[in-house]
Amino acid sequence: MWLIALKASWRQTFTLQIRYLFNFLSAIITMSLVFLLMFYGVRAVGAGALDLGGTLDGLFTGYIVWMIVLNGYQDLAFNVATEAQTGTLEQLYLSPVGYKWLAFFSGSLNALISLAMISVITAIMVLTTGQELHLDILSILPVYIGVYIQAYGLGFVLGGLALMFKRIQSFFQVVTFGVIGLFMIPWSKYPWAKYLPFTMGQHLLQEIMMKGMKLTKVQGGHLAVFAVVTVACFVVGWGLFALAEKKAKSMGLLGQY
Amino acid sequence: MPNPRYGDSSCYLEVQGLRKTFIGRKRKVEAIKDISFCVAQGEMIGFLGPNGAGKTTTIKSVLGLVRPDSGTITVDGIDCAGNPREAAKRMAAVLEGARNTYWRLTVWENMQFFAGIHGVCAAKDKEYFEYLLETLRLQDKRNTEVRNLSSGYKQKTAVACALAKKTPLVFLDEPTLGLDVESSYELRAALKRLQSEEQRTIVVSSHDMNVIQDVCNRVIIISNGRVVADDSIDDLLSLFRTRNYKIVVSKNAYMQHPESLVTEISQGFSQADINETPDTVEIAVGFTNPFEIYDLIKTLSDFRVAIESITQEQVDLEKAFLEIVRRENGVCG
Repeated sequence: MWLIALKASWRQTFTLQIRYLFNFLSAIITMSLVFLLMFYGVRAVGAGALDLGGTLDGLFTGYIVWMIVLNGYQDLAFNVATEAQTGTLEQLYLSPVGYKWLAFFSGSLNALISLAMISVITAIMVLTTGQELHLDILSILPVYIGVYIQAYGLGFVLGGLALMFKRIQSFFQVVTFGVIGLFMIPWSKYPWAKYLPFTMGQHLLQEIMMKGMKLTKVQGGHLAVFAVVTVACFVVGWGLFALAEKKAKSMGLLGQY
Repeated sequence: MPNPRYGDSSCYLEVQGLRKTFIGRKRKVEAIKDISFCVAQGEMIGFLGPNGAGKTTTIKSVLGLVRPDSGTITVDGIDCAGNPREAAKRMAAVLEGARNTYWRLTVWENMQFFAGIHGVCAAKDKEYFEYLLETLRLQDKRNTEVRNLSSGYKQKTAVACALAKKTPLVFLDEPTLGLDVESSYELRAALKRLQSEEQRTIVVSSHDMNVIQDVCNRVIIISNGRVVADDSIDDLLSLFRTRNYKIVVSKNAYMQHPESLVTEISQGFSQADINETPDTVEIAVGFTNPFEIYDLIKTLSDFRVAIESITQEQVDLEKAFLEIVRRENGVCG
């Protein structure tokens, strides 16, 4: 049953991506344009004026992590709101596999689609800015997966809120920009910031992509923090979503919009 | 088939003592006060009730979409609260007021997806999927995106997706809502065929009494969160079968004392409603005693009038339903 459900979920996710191809392409164009505006804007006023991880390198990796986070959490949170709005959410809840797993299945394929999208955008970023990046896939991929899982944890939390309150798109926007704030906290001044979601991922990507460091050469402590934060984000998100599901079922909110 | 009772081995779906109160910011709404019923395997039952009676809340509680405050629900002997995953394997539904399908996917892709997340592989069950498409007359639309279909086809796609899961128990909440007459008849015919060929247990909730009377053998009527009737449609109708008759007699040359016919009937049968024309007399009368009609016929015989027709007023499910709900609400009919 699980394998059939996984296949069905992937097929549906992929087919819908194809049907909404314009949305996919416009996301690539928009994200690339936003980056270029930021990049040339920061360069114009001087990198020192804006502390995005310290340098323009920070802007690069910060933006990549931001895109991963955005894709990760929006995949789930937006899906809950959209499925409730279109009237398919309750049908998904009738599955014996359970909605959380279906969301996870479709999320796993979306992670690959996001990776393809982010790769294209990164290529555009590199080509247009002339920035040199070290593309050690074996080192980048685990960090990408970890950050995506952290984002999925956040997605579960926001998805839970969407289950209960449905229209929380404006809150999504706050979170989207709030995530940028996380990258701006200087570790030197606030050491606890490294334990926050996504920050260690951004640091690791900076080490790998900008400085050419291999993941195996990264400080063990940093890797441990990254792993623990990843697991914690996912477990907390999953748990809070389960609570929200319980509450939504109790209040009869699943089918409402 | 006699109605199954709680604890009967024939009960496939058993709901007992179900209660649910929704607590809002400003007020509490007691959606279900005490609902108990059983449905045997292979039955197609109608689940009726006025708006706000608690039908949808009951159905959603069974399906695990709403958490009831108390009561037990078992499907195929499985406790839905204790083992929701196993119970979910046995149930499918088309829910009222929801799209139930993805409009950017085709009919076939929707069936594939919804069956798939229920563990049914479209590739292995292709023949059955084709049978569903044929039964619901969707063959020509299989590769059409649902957004491009009429509302009748959209609804039939939702039904096909629910049935493609091959679950023994299916809930159809307002399956003919918004359908034109032809689509409604097609869907009803398909449901009857599926039920007779597959022996599925189907619970149909609808405001359209014709649909229920056409496809179901038994109805459960709920009002104000309680079951107020649970019987076969035939038994229910017999309860409300009236002894109201309409008798048409024609005046003729052999008629005795034609001037006193109306007076005689009015005096003898005070409840009679008499309408006289130059050629005929129409008598509408309701009897409490089944033998009173013979007295009226004897009176007519004494006047030597020719009886053209005697018709008994037919009661349908809609009238019976309204009567039951009115009685429950304490409204005179």
